[in-house]
Amino acid sequence: MSAGSADDYLAPAIAVSGSGAMRAVNWPATLASLPSEDREAQLLWRLRYRTARTQLARLFVDARLRTILVSSLSVFFWIGLFLLFYEGFTFIVDNVGVPGAPYHAQTVQFVFHLFFASLNIMLIFSSGIILYSGLYNSPDATLMLTMPIRPERIVLFKFQEAVFYSSWGFFLLASPIMIAYGIVAGAPWFYYLLLAPLIVSFVYIPCSIGAICCLFVIHRLPKLRRIVVAGALLLLVCAVTPLVWRTVNSPQSRLFGTEWFQDTLYRFRFTQQEWLPSTWLTNGLLEAARQGTTTAADEATDLPIVQSILYLALLVSNALFFHVLTIWAAKRWFRASYASFACRVRRNRVIRRSLADRVMSALLVGFPLPLQLLLIKDWRLLRRDPVQWSQFLIFFGLLGLYFLNVDRFNNPHNDIGYLTWINMVSFLNLAVVGLILSTFTTRFIYPMISLEGHCFWILGLLPIDRDTILWSKFWFASLGSWIPCSLLVLLSDVMLRVPMMVVVVHQLTCVLLCLGLASIAVGFGAMLPNFRETSPSKIAAGFGGTLNLVLSALYIMVVVVLTALPCHFYLLAGKGPWGASFVDPQYLRLWLILGTVAAIIVGAIATVVPLRRGLRAFRVLEFA
Amino acid sequence: MIEFQQVSRSYGEKLAVDNLNLAINAGELYALLGHNGAGKTTAIKMLVGLIRPGAGSVRVGGYDLVSQTRQATSLIGYVPDEPYLYDKLSGREILNFVGRMYGMDNEQVERAAEREIGRFELAEFVDELTETYSHGMKQRTVFAAALLHAPRVLVVDEPMIGLDPHSMRLVKDLMRNEVAAGMCIFMSTHTLQAAEEIATRVGIMSHGHLLFDGTIDTLRERFPAGQQSLEAMYLALTETKGKNAKAEAV
Repeated sequence: MSAGSADDYLAPAIAVSGSGAMRAVNWPATLASLPSEDREAQLLWRLRYRTARTQLARLFVDARLRTILVSSLSVFFWIGLFLLFYEGFTFIVDNVGVPGAPYHAQTVQFVFHLFFASLNIMLIFSSGIILYSGLYNSPDATLMLTMPIRPERIVLFKFQEAVFYSSWGFFLLASPIMIAYGIVAGAPWFYYLLLAPLIVSFVYIPCSIGAICCLFVIHRLPKLRRIVVAGALLLLVCAVTPLVWRTVNSPQSRLFGTEWFQDTLYRFRFTQQEWLPSTWLTNGLLEAARQGTTTAADEATDLPIVQSILYLALLVSNALFFHVLTIWAAKRWFRASYASFACRVRRNRVIRRSLADRVMSALLVGFPLPLQLLLIKDWRLLRRDPVQWSQFLIFFGLLGLYFLNVDRFNNPHNDIGYLTWINMVSFLNLAVVGLILSTFTTRFIYPMISLEGHCFWILGLLPIDRDTILWSKFWFASLGSWIPCSLLVLLSDVMLRVPMMVVVVHQLTCVLLCLGLASIAVGFGAMLPNFRETSPSKIAAGFGGTLNLVLSALYIMVVVVLTALPCHFYLLAGKGPWGASFVDPQYLRLWLILGTVAAIIVGAIATVVPLRRGLRAFRVLEFA
Repeated sequence: MIEFQQVSRSYGEKLAVDNLNLAINAGELYALLGHNGAGKTTAIKMLVGLIRPGAGSVRVGGYDLVSQTRQATSLIGYVPDEPYLYDKLSGREILNFVGRMYGMDNEQVERAAEREIGRFELAEFVDELTETYSHGMKQRTVFAAALLHAPRVLVVDEPMIGLDPHSMRLVKDLMRNEVAAGMCIFMSTHTLQAAEEIATRVGIMSHGHLLFDGTIDTLRERFPAGQQSLEAMYLALTETKGKNAKAEAV
């Protein structure tokens, strides 16, 4: 059996006639007839445009609440950041020096260099990780690989997505800083004009480096096991942590002095290396913001606009260089690396009863057996899904790091400002723990009932009543969240050295938050299930998930304010000039008790009502 | 039209396809049968350029899938076992995108799309977003997209899964007609009845080895009367030769 030569099949045209008159297509399937590189790019851009247009239209039709919420929060966040940085730069002008003064320049340079250098690193990692999942773990990349599309075009298509997704946060952070600085420094018009091109060309460089690293790593090390990568990262963290600690740590007594300032600049000098793209961006921005006074003796190249454009040219040329390098790497490595990755060894995990399971079983010994079994099932599902607990770990880990450092500005003086600050920060920390917990209950607990819909052929036929299933979710969420949350809040309180009474109030509030948030997520999950969707993130992003998040945030605010305000006044009573007149000290204890009781009542309502409604809905739920 | 020449591919230590030699001509419908893990999907993925042979070569229309990927894939239409469609595009928009990517102009795409919409009875839902499609509707749309550019080779992985009897009939008739018109179809399936009905040749794989390659009549000659259903022959062959193949592989 001969397969024939290539020319037999491709010259000069293929005429296929299939089922009668319906098949009368006659088009040349030669290589020359396939789209050119530009045409391919146009078609993929059109695909992106259509997809984005439909997605946006659907957002405004199907998820109006979420869209409005996200947009409003983003605007709120942007304005908040802008005001914060505006005040910060004004502080520098007032206390350090006006633009042009040496200390002003040093301080602003230090801030910009440090900020952009950190983002440099983050962009490399985030674009590499996003590109990895876009190229090697997405069905549309697989579909494209089966079509006659150039591999480099597929990589560029996915790379553009990676640039967008990894840098939108950067724009959200950088734009208020840049604009605030421009206003405070009285920057000329071209500063604002050059902002966007400078930032875009900068972003492209670390993102391209991330893309090239991603392609190289998958190409060269397809058999690399995740555990090896995680181990290497852990070693890296262990090696870098002491360096970071030494860099940020300094004796409290010297804080904000001249020596401390110079020492800090010296320790962070690595962020000001001339070869770093972040340095080019910083210099470009600062040059554009410089108040240039031109004299006849000045060279034209000394003008701020010219200097800034030169830095822009440097960024653009490097961005283009890395673009070419990305295309080269894609052409050379993508198909081969995809094939190697698809054929990597997948080790099947042998599951044995682990110590974690035994500990969990021991902890649940007081619960009825069906409840125990359901809780252990959910515990195993959580434990074996790193996507879930790793996010939990990262966010709570970062919070823990922040709490550990929260006493950096500890003031030995027993003044009213310090006490106010301590109390406010301790309650804000409690609110932050609650808000992060609410995002987790929305993302992971709320979709649980919807996801059980796919397994209801097991649960639905078990000889247990449906209430047990819902109760198991509630206990799982509330107990699971209570332990890390209460530990974090305790850590914050210990570091801030708050009085014992506040610690007790915080722990009580923490319990109320955990119970209430768990109940809201479980109750709404049962009332508004989505059995069509299999992805928990998409379930959480729907109307029910958004409503859950909004109600959770409101609940946190109410409970924290109810416990925080009386506690605040109680602690400050008699210590400030206004303490006695503001609230009569003899009633402060009463206010404190009333506030706590009100918080308990709100907590009880938030726990009982959604759970009861959820139970009622779940009893009659049809798993269609 | 399709050539596997001494093709092997392993996943680490595990040999998924072992020294596969196979040639399929235009006008043939080749059904590749085998248990789960026999190596069928690996063979198909090599055929459409998704993975590369560890040894040997795969050619379509004379073009090597590794060194001349674009030329080779331009001759292929591929229907995967799990149909993927862009969920924020309509069926018609997807057909348009695929057709243009294969170098068809607007007019050609429109004509071809109308032809496939009629053939696969997509008219009722083709302008809706594909996220609302059932599995069967998706599968039919994928078939339409795969056939839009009139490929010389159609590669189909488990075509009957999730299809209702009416759609199954539609797909079987379609494949028969295309083969009669000169198309080369390479199909992997567990549906032995469908293979028996439409395949001009069958291959039986087990543990990466091709145990049998030929027509069903040739296969029947090897078995006594009374054991000549494809199911009985398939089971007999895979259970005896499969054990030997496994032993060899070990």
